[in-house]
Amino acid sequence: MPELKLLLKHKARTLDEYRRIGGYAAFQKALAMDRQAVIDEIKKSGLRGRGGAGFPTWIKWNGIPKQKTKRHYVLCNADEGEPGTFKDKELMESTPHQVIEGMMIAGWATQADVGYIYIRAEFMDCARAVKSAIDEAYAEGLLGKNIQGTGWDFDLHVHLGAGSYECGEESAMMSSLMGERGMPRLKAPHAPLPTIAGLWDSPTLINNVETFACAPHIIQNGGDWYAAMGASTKNSRGTKIFSVSGHVNKPGNYEIEFGTKLSDLLELAGGIKGGALKACIPGGSSVPILNAESVAKAVIGYEEIGEVGSMVGSGGCIFFNEHTCIVALMWRTAKFYMRESCGKCTPCREGTDWLFQIHDRIIKGGGRPEDINLLKQICAQIDGRSFCGLGDAAAWPIVAALKVFPHEYEYFIQHGKSIVDTPQSKLMFPYAEPVPV
Amino acid sequence: MASLAQEPGLVTITIDGTELQVPKGELVVESVKRLGREIPIFCYHPRMKPVGMCRMCLVEVGMKQPDGTVRMMPKPQAGCTLPASDNLVVITDSESVIADRRGVLEFLLINHPLDCPICDRGGECPLQNNTLFYGPSTTRYVEVKRHLPKAFPLSRHVTLDLERCIQCGRCVRFTEEISGDAQLAFLFRGAAMTPRTFELTDLDSKFSGNVIEICPVGALTSSDYRFRARPWDLETRPSTCLECANGCSVWFDHRGGKMVRINGRVNDAVNEEWTCDKGKFGHGYLNAPDRPAKPLIRKEDVLAAADWSTAYQQIVAHFEDGRTAVAGLVGAKVSNEDLFQFKRMFHRHFHSPNLDHRWTRILPSQTEGVRGLHGIDEVHTRIAEWESVNAALVVGNDLASDQPMVYLRLRKAWQRHGAKVVVISERPTYADHFASAVIRCEEGKLFEAVARLSAAVLQNREGADALRAALKPFAPDAKDRAAAEALKGEFFTVCSESVYAKPDGGKTVSALANLAVGTDNAQRFNLYPVGANDMGAALLGVHPGGQGMNTREILEGCIQGRIKSLWLLECDPFALWHDHQQVQDALENVEFLVVQTSAPNQAMQYASVVLPCCAHVEADGTYTNIERRVQKIEAIWRPKGDAKPSWKLFTELMLRMNPSRPIFEPSELMEMIIAEDESFAPAAYHNLEGNGACLPLGVDAGAQLFMEIYQ
Ligand SMILES: Cc1cc2nc3c(=O)[nH]c(=O)nc-3n(C[C@H](O)[C@H](O)[C@H](O)COP(=O)(O)O)c2cc1C
Ligand code: SF4
Ligand code: SF4
Ligand code: FES
Repeated sequence: MPELKLLLKHKARTLDEYRRIGGYAAFQKALAMDRQAVIDEIKKSGLRGRGGAGFPTWIKWNGIPKQKTKRHYVLCNADEGEPGTFKDKELMESTPHQVIEGMMIAGWATQADVGYIYIRAEFMDCARAVKSAIDEAYAEGLLGKNIQGTGWDFDLHVHLGAGSYECGEESAMMSSLMGERGMPRLKAPHAPLPTIAGLWDSPTLINNVETFACAPHIIQNGGDWYAAMGASTKNSRGTKIFSVSGHVNKPGNYEIEFGTKLSDLLELAGGIKGGALKACIPGGSSVPILNAESVAKAVIGYEEIGEVGSMVGSGGCIFFNEHTCIVALMWRTAKFYMRESCGKCTPCREGTDWLFQIHDRIIKGGGRPEDINLLKQICAQIDGRSFCGLGDAAAWPIVAALKVFPHEYEYFIQHGKSIVDTPQSKLMFPYAEPVPV
Repeated sequence: MASLAQEPGLVTITIDGTELQVPKGELVVESVKRLGREIPIFCYHPRMKPVGMCRMCLVEVGMKQPDGTVRMMPKPQAGCTLPASDNLVVITDSESVIADRRGVLEFLLINHPLDCPICDRGGECPLQNNTLFYGPSTTRYVEVKRHLPKAFPLSRHVTLDLERCIQCGRCVRFTEEISGDAQLAFLFRGAAMTPRTFELTDLDSKFSGNVIEICPVGALTSSDYRFRARPWDLETRPSTCLECANGCSVWFDHRGGKMVRINGRVNDAVNEEWTCDKGKFGHGYLNAPDRPAKPLIRKEDVLAAADWSTAYQQIVAHFEDGRTAVAGLVGAKVSNEDLFQFKRMFHRHFHSPNLDHRWTRILPSQTEGVRGLHGIDEVHTRIAEWESVNAALVVGNDLASDQPMVYLRLRKAWQRHGAKVVVISERPTYADHFASAVIRCEEGKLFEAVARLSAAVLQNREGADALRAALKPFAPDAKDRAAAEALKGEFFTVCSESVYAKPDGGKTVSALANLAVGTDNAQRFNLYPVGANDMGAALLGVHPGGQGMNTREILEGCIQGRIKSLWLLECDPFALWHDHQQVQDALENVEFLVVQTSAPNQAMQYASVVLPCCAHVEADGTYTNIERRVQKIEAIWRPKGDAKPSWKLFTELMLRMNPSRPIFEPSELMEMIIAEDESFAPAAYHNLEGNGACLPLGVDAGAQLFMEIYQ
């Protein structure tokens, strides 16, 4: 199947350009609609959160109290920390108004007073693009006091993170935004939902950049129109942007309709490069890895990818060719999560450290046969036991790698070196001699 | 099983198959205790907000469905953060829960130094205990353990062993939530995360010692106690801290006649379970090597050991029937029984009214005090009540120093329900950070500041016209008016007698009393004493009354020769009185000086006779704290040498002067106190088990204003 471009169709950095492609028409339409009607349209569309978990978007929007007793906030998660994912970056850089318009529609629907876009500090260009778009919107009276004579006030601010993957987790993001250490907060059933008590204990709607960017299209064309896309899947509607990287000829962001085959996505990205396809991480570094066989079978959809044992995640799709050592890949992955664990809870803080130590030992040739079981048990002691999803995200890839490529671990442990023994593979090893290019 | 009948505010939950009703929202970790069960914890502390960090308390959780089946949640949940709700099902003893606990402990131990054999905490360590009950017996960790500083000083009192820390955050949360100084924070993230002070700052909190106790491992250690003993070497006895008048309950750990450590003891009426640093680290004097152990008598300019009988002989010769030529001064750490007997001896045998226990610059007479001028009691509010006040006026020196436990409660009131607090002080205080208004005045201008605020408060109110008129000369500024907003309704006043050390202290107290009376807040007025048993001394009449001389007059009397014999009971005037020269002249001049003391002091060098007496931990006695709670302290170890309980010493002397029925027990003295003053009735010894007993507070005679101070 070819690409189906909705969000990535245009590049429109300025308000003028954005207007020319029909920008803010959806917002105008929303302003004329009843708030609940806006939410109902989102419900009809079947839109699910694009930040990773795929939670039905309308439930969050609908969860913000209709009777307003406090300030309401809209928070856009633009931390995009998941390794392999770079779609939000492109969305913010090429069509910042699309994201802003989505937030404004959400703000209108949930009677919000203030919106924040929390952008990771590495994305300076995004921050600049979004900031100048916000300035333009203020200048045109799209933001600020009494917007379009509706009596509704809405302000939008850009906030830069300080370099932490964990700050993409929604409750840690709220802590960070409020000036606290970037650690997650208690969630239901231990504490009220953020839609009731989020930022400064007030109702807060948090969505991913891409989720917000979908809203204008849904409002403009109707939920039913949107839901028609991806109808071949069980419960995934519309389009999804995949950031394709790794051993492919044309890495980049590709927007496809749900129901597209994973192999088609690979084709869109110019096919595998430098050797035969070996593996794929379809949704960002925290989702389970697939082998070539599963890739061939996989259809893109929240439930459909689940059938082959992985997840849509944030859409950070990395393909690996035959020169990839899975153990080295997991060494790299484990190192990432060890460094990014915030330290709040024991299983993640200590477990990610331990997982890395073991991989490091194996990579250096010191693996022991019992390490395989130990790794599995450590993962089981983290998965579902940690405070937030980072712990799970650290465990899943390793669990999957041990399941899909057990022989690679066994070989490495037995021989003290990788089963993949090609000049190209040497590049992967942190401790090997650098290979002359 | 049929559901129990539902009571309002209660929910029905099931724990390990047993159905029970608990208050809605109660944390599961607490509900479990109702069944005599326990969920192991590290980071959870009942007096702080739950955070769910350590994951030790994971339990399986489900919801009972209408059809009676139970839908279990896919992941285990932290029992310390989970509020009870109807139909909740909790399983604390399944295989998977047991495995989860083992998993968490394994994680906590992989990088732990396991130096239990040399750790202060060994033997009383939650990590040891939980490991013993729930942990793995061996390790699967073969990597190199993390190495970190073992003796990282956080402050003069607290040393951090970074290797032992399990990153539970209790210490950090204590400084944020309880003491409020927020001096600790986590530095770095992941496994490298460590609790630290901020760059270039110290943990100089007035409450820093508590973090040592709440640390669930031996990471936070007391710099003094480090490596000094193992818990099982210590004898632990309940006692009461006498470093200030709050009278916190403490555990007193001693070994071989030496005090080694003081820990907070739970007393929900007074200190909850906290101590302040003054109390926790301030008892070193008990271990002083040169504490007097025998009576000493001056012979040709040197003090030489003597026997009691010679000492008594000399004292009787100089004091008996000495009338106005003899006087006694008293310190703060003297028990009610000692004070009572001392006073009796002075009144009955020396026929002298010259007694005082106060050492402040200003020494109001009976008619000049709060009661005399305003007809109200000095004290109306109990310590625990402070946590439910809605508005308070805090005046004078730092509340956290003078009344540490009142400070903690007031902070709690602010934190829990946003109590409005106005601080008036000359210098920065601990309470500033949560005060809704801080009025910082120049040194010596406290009275004016209170008067101006009074004027502002009265602008918002009806009535009290006379007071408003008298306050005319004190024009409030914008800041005063802003502060007055917080005091629009009922408000509590707290000031400490340390304010009497200031030249305008008397007027300040009177202005505060006027404000309280004028705004119908007299029942919420408090002028708390500062010294441990100052309250007892005041109630027992260890002061000049109408006829005697006060501290200043006594010292002057010594210089002028009107006082020939002076008795110093557990006090060092050099440490207490503001004018050193005057003290020196007085002690040099007075003909006969008795220094009765449990610890060496500067006055001893002038003494004619030194009498060794017991410190509070060496004799039974009762002490009355700021809220008139009479608490009994029991002797913990034997007196040093020949030292005697003071009351016994007075009794023996009195027998010499007038043979009569002797007194054998301090409880008899308490009976005599009660016979003399029935307000002490609650303090009969049989009532004093546990947390002691409170005497009446807020005994007002009819509130009145005193306007002359404004002229
Ligand atoms: C460790 C961790 C990191 C996350 N990072 C991101 C992120 O960078 N961007 C994002 O949109 N969501 C991230 N999420 C997911 C958010 O918590 C949250 O589910 C999402 O922002 C909700 O938006 P959505 O409903 O639109 O997907 C992360 C979650 C976890 C557990
Ligand atoms: S799982 Fe625990 S340590 Fe890891 S990021 Fe979440 S809260 Fe922090
Ligand atoms: S020092 Fe103690 S109280 Fe503080 S985080 Fe570490 S283990 Fe917890
Ligand atoms: S005691 Fe519950 S998580 Fe620490």
